[in-house]
Amino acid sequence: MMSARAISAGFKQQAVQFFADPQWIIPSLISPFLLSMVMIFLSSGGTSIEGPLVLQAVLGGGVLGMWANSLFSSSTSVSFDRINGTFEPMLGSGTRIIYVLIGRSLWSTLIGLLNAFIVFAIAEVMFGAGLNVQNPILFFLALLMAMLSLSSVGLLISTLFVLTRKGGTVSSVLEYPIYVMSGALVPISMLPQWMQPVSLALAPTWGVDAIKYSALEGYEGMLGMSFITDVLMCLALSIIFIVSAYVVMLYVERKVLRDGTATRY
Amino acid sequence: MSGAFTIVATSAKSDFISKFTLVHPVIRLLVIMCTNLFSMYFFFLLASYVGNPDVSPEYVIIGNVVQSVSTSTLYSATNISGTEKHTGTLEPILSSPPRLFFIFFGKSLFSISMGFVSVSVSLFYAAFIFGVDFSSANIGAIVLICVLTCLSLAGMGLAIGSIGIYLRTSAILANLFGYIGLLICGVNFPVSYLPGWLQVLSYGMPLTYAVEATRSAVGGSALGTMAEPLFMMVLLGAIYLTAAWFIFGFFEKISRNRGSLDSF
Repeated sequence: MMSARAISAGFKQQAVQFFADPQWIIPSLISPFLLSMVMIFLSSGGTSIEGPLVLQAVLGGGVLGMWANSLFSSSTSVSFDRINGTFEPMLGSGTRIIYVLIGRSLWSTLIGLLNAFIVFAIAEVMFGAGLNVQNPILFFLALLMAMLSLSSVGLLISTLFVLTRKGGTVSSVLEYPIYVMSGALVPISMLPQWMQPVSLALAPTWGVDAIKYSALEGYEGMLGMSFITDVLMCLALSIIFIVSAYVVMLYVERKVLRDGTATRY
Repeated sequence: MSGAFTIVATSAKSDFISKFTLVHPVIRLLVIMCTNLFSMYFFFLLASYVGNPDVSPEYVIIGNVVQSVSTSTLYSATNISGTEKHTGTLEPILSSPPRLFFIFFGKSLFSISMGFVSVSVSLFYAAFIFGVDFSSANIGAIVLICVLTCLSLAGMGLAIGSIGIYLRTSAILANLFGYIGLLICGVNFPVSYLPGWLQVLSYGMPLTYAVEATRSAVGGSALGTMAEPLFMMVLLGAIYLTAAWFIFGFFEKISRNRGSLDSF
């Protein structure tokens, strides 16, 4: 049974923590924004540039920003509980931790969207040509779907952080693989053959393609896939990630409670 | 002087113990190996995709070898104060008798050693995965540049991190300065691509000179021909370290006079 109260409480708690210290959004903005700028300078050769390439770089940066936020939130979610001493009370409560984490992930989704819009806004101010998207409504929906897909990956990762206090260190490993394999800045056709199936198994890859469809005029799609295929695959894979997170979390929670090793150092 | 050395050594020792207790050295090495591999591969792909004739994938890979020091040493040295504040250990450090600078300098030795490890891993990848040709490279010069880069960036990290004592968190500064090299230090494209005001900023970063010197060394240049960038890098590192001494001293004084410890 879904525990709506626990999800709502997790959402509220994450919101309160964010408003208490909103500057935490900035670290996850810096790296994606710099990567977008690198692509723009690398493409332009130092001269002025506009049009689809800028839009592609900015869109890619927005997606990377959403991922950085999702990853940062999922890794700090449980780590901060450990530091603040709230992990044991949460474990001892009657609610399954997964519901609390889902609530927190929903807040992160919201902030991830804000993160993407901040990247877009900065690029718009700097380059002026940033956001002439083809279909704004479809673009917003695709962005929301991509963010949910990134959060589903983040949710799965955060379940594993319950097992370890090395979350902060290990999470940094996961930043670039999604940058590479989601096709946000570089199309997945550039990846080696063996890596492409892995890329296609990630929900965000399809979400990114849907964003490009809705934003770029004349975009032909990743590996010839249609927009509808992107949407269906993104949603299906996101559901698979969320269900997997639920199953893994049940196992992890039982193991931690059985072994009594939650905060053993 | 021997007192200062003891403080540095003790601080370094306790930091190594705590860092390795928290994350086992093997896991730490695996994290560095995976992160460096994917970040280098990302920029390799980006350069291949964009196809700028001035910037070959090899150019980008060499730049990112040096950048790997920044993401290890500069990032973590900048973040020392924030980490101490976050874990609640900055107050006891501030209330202890030794100079703050010596304690933090000792802690930065861990960041320096991680920089060595990181750049070694990246050099390995450059040679054996990304196919950078080191056959005519000046290996001795590359090693010297790597050592000086780690030290200079640690100096810069301490200077920036000392400001972090005053802030609620130094994570923003660490992220900004740890990664800004990707854009402004000639890591992924020539500095001349940047607007004038960013070029000024670029030449205030030791990493810019490190990247320039490394490219020369990989090309086989003699050490003498890269004296200028090496001198500038060391000079900037020394200036930043001196700045760190004064900034740490400043906040230490305020903290003790007001009795406010880490609350400014």
